[in-house]
Amino acid sequence: MSLSNLTRPWEAFSYGFLDASAKREMRRKMLKAIAVPGCQMPYASREVPIARGWGTGGLQVTLTLIKPSSSIKVIDQGADDGVNAASIRRFIARVSGAAETMDTLEASILQSRHRIPEEKLRDDQILVLQVPNPEPLRPVEPNMSAAREMHADADYSRLWLTLYEQIVRSGRIMQGAAYPALVNGRHVMTPSPIPRWDVPKLHMARHLTFLSAGREKRLFAVPPFTRVEPLVFSDVPYKVEDHASLTCDRSGVKGYFMNEIPKDDGTSAHELSDSQFGVKAIRRNEGETVAIGDTWYKNGTFTQ
Amino acid sequence: MTIQSPKTHPDLVVPVRNLSEARANATYEALMWALARPGEIRSLPGSDPFALAETLVDRECRVFACDASLSERIAATGAYLTPAAEADHAFLALDTPDGLAALRDVPTGSHLYPDEGATVFAPADIGSGRGLRLSGPGIEGAVEIWIGGIPDEVWAIRSARCEYPIGFELFLIDGDRVLGLPRSATIEVL
Amino acid sequence: MAYVATRGGERAIEQSERLYRAGLGDIDAQRVAAIRQALPWLIDRVMGEASLYEPDLAALALAQSGGDLYETVLLLRAWRTTQPRLAIAEPVTQESLFTVRRISAAFKDIPGGQILGPTLDYSHRLLATSVLEGQPFVPMPVEPAARPAPAHQPSLAAWQKAVGLVADVSATPVAPEDIPDLTREPLLFPAKRAHTLQSLARADTGGVLALGYSAMRGYGNAHPTVNELRLAEAELRVRHPRGTVFSAGRVKVSQAEVTNKGKSGKLELGFCATLGWNEVKVIAGATLDLNAPAAPKNSPVNEEFFLYHTEPVEASGFCIHFKLPHYVTFQSSLDALRDAKAGTAAHATSSTIQRQEEPA
Repeated sequence: MSLSNLTRPWEAFSYGFLDASAKREMRRKMLKAIAVPGCQMPYASREVPIARGWGTGGLQVTLTLIKPSSSIKVIDQGADDGVNAASIRRFIARVSGAAETMDTLEASILQSRHRIPEEKLRDDQILVLQVPNPEPLRPVEPNMSAAREMHADADYSRLWLTLYEQIVRSGRIMQGAAYPALVNGRHVMTPSPIPRWDVPKLHMARHLTFLSAGREKRLFAVPPFTRVEPLVFSDVPYKVEDHASLTCDRSGVKGYFMNEIPKDDGTSAHELSDSQFGVKAIRRNEGETVAIGDTWYKNGTFTQ
Repeated sequence: MTIQSPKTHPDLVVPVRNLSEARANATYEALMWALARPGEIRSLPGSDPFALAETLVDRECRVFACDASLSERIAATGAYLTPAAEADHAFLALDTPDGLAALRDVPTGSHLYPDEGATVFAPADIGSGRGLRLSGPGIEGAVEIWIGGIPDEVWAIRSARCEYPIGFELFLIDGDRVLGLPRSATIEVL
Repeated sequence: MAYVATRGGERAIEQSERLYRAGLGDIDAQRVAAIRQALPWLIDRVMGEASLYEPDLAALALAQSGGDLYETVLLLRAWRTTQPRLAIAEPVTQESLFTVRRISAAFKDIPGGQILGPTLDYSHRLLATSVLEGQPFVPMPVEPAARPAPAHQPSLAAWQKAVGLVADVSATPVAPEDIPDLTREPLLFPAKRAHTLQSLARADTGGVLALGYSAMRGYGNAHPTVNELRLAEAELRVRHPRGTVFSAGRVKVSQAEVTNKGKSGKLELGFCATLGWNEVKVIAGATLDLNAPAAPKNSPVNEEFFLYHTEPVEASGFCIHFKLPHYVTFQSSLDALRDAKAGTAAHATSSTIQRQEEPA
């Protein structure tokens, strides 16, 4: 071995920002994540030029996969023009030369914070979810080492107990977003803070999903055709947000997840949370020819 | 609809990828989809097994390879050559007694750290030979594949050693074609 | 009005960054050099937390972030992480340090002597306001001692081991390349010794102080006595691929050893070292290390607790991430709340809404 084996010609920064050794570690861990769906795989998690907690985990996955022919869509809360989504998308394009897109149908990699788009993802698409807290057991066990042992023993009794207590106290399970789900019948995972509306989109899906928490240094995956079952009691069915009958004020579209916009008169207006889906609906209303993909929900009801 | 973001740092140009970066990216994509969809045959950018090592291993890895010349090339990446029992990546010739012995030895991880199970690469004939029915994550229902060039013992060893979520991942390589068998796949020998 | 793909977000972020940078003005080599020259202790602190010993880059990062320390450390860490690992330096021993300051609170005098070196410890903290009135502050010249202090000092702990005060831990020799590297592998618990010390070395000074101070005030189980504190320069000896060991230069280092009487009847030691000179950090860090072995789970001196919570880039990043929109998760919680309320009204039963874990 010589110094020249270990060094490389000077570059301002590597293709895709991450250097070859960082990418290799990501690849190794991403393979293991696919092999054991829903199981949190620890990784070194390099620093990247955005702050921790702002999508560094998702970014490391995306930068490992990216190539010049990739087409990248980044959303935050469903919107492509959220300030952080725009910043991440611009950074990815800047270090990779990949195309930027807002259209779910055009993207090869979709990096998202807190939403899964309404149009069904295909089998050649990869969804990268940013994860703030990868540990579904944290509310019952803040110590990560202890939580890991509970996963090893498949001991989820304390999680079940809190869900049961919520039903007793409030008449329903009070978990809002980030609803815990059992993956491949073995590991409980957090689907990241997506609304309950989006969790069924991971169950037996055609696309591949990576979930990555950069600050907490854990990544996990849901391969295509994998069981993702929200934790529910047999006599209390899983309940998504009551948005099926809401209509988007701007596009007139009904039956999807909405943002609530409070009005001065005390009422609320609604608009589609998936912003580009809304843009396409408006364009179509205005007479443009726009390709809108098949959606997971039809008339407000989930269809597999 | 493609969009173009404003450039705030005009001095920053998109870095150009070098050959090894491009090859590793394409190799990984094939491995990733092969593992995510067990039974589906993917194309590697070439048929040199060293490209697999270049994609995944470096100084942080412990590697075992049956083939001496491949071992030598892998050692040059800075990876440590170890016995199969300590290897996180193993390049095995499963048609030899040594290769089968190594498959009995490679780490399978633990319930606490399933990720410590090894990744195994082995040449095989894809598309002819023993029929296998696969089911599990990544597979819609079930899928049948045919694998030749390796003894049936491989499947017995795998089934004995892969007790989900512990186990190892097996990539079968036929020239530039690859097939992935994650530990999550159930294999029925037909 | 049509709902078009607004580019407002893109323009807004671009302009807000410009506004921030406009406030800092032009950054040139002169400004960077001035920062490096005027603020060596700040440069040291930043280099320690960034775990990157490069004073010029540290000064540049300070200039670019206008002195926001968390931004500074993130800039340096993000640069550091892309650099190849060329070689692993030979271990540095206490005896080999080029020591400029070395004190012990455990004994009045120690073998090798107490060496004060540069410190403000005994100064009166008076602002030199006359500088603002045009009268420069000119430091008094140092009067050299008749006999210079020896450059190398023995280790106090080695003497304590020899006389049976400190248990001698049998050290298994580890090849340099086998030393676990925190920046290349995840921190898992129980942490490898190398990971613990590396993690403390790059920890946030303020965070280590806060938790270390809580232990000193009584939330820990061990009261620290400073056994030995050193500010020094360490020779960076690396092996060339051709086999020759050579010095690649010197780096400033600080280290603290604190001690407490253990249950075994011997003295126990806590240790912390970092790049650059930063006394508060190494004393507080060594106090945490001293307290860790007997710490109850989830206490501030529990290893998992203090290592996770003193990581400057992770802690500051997560703190500022709460500025990001959270309206989807909020909407989801609101839905559950309204539904529960409606259900409660329908059943006319009393219910308490419990505190819920809010997803971030």
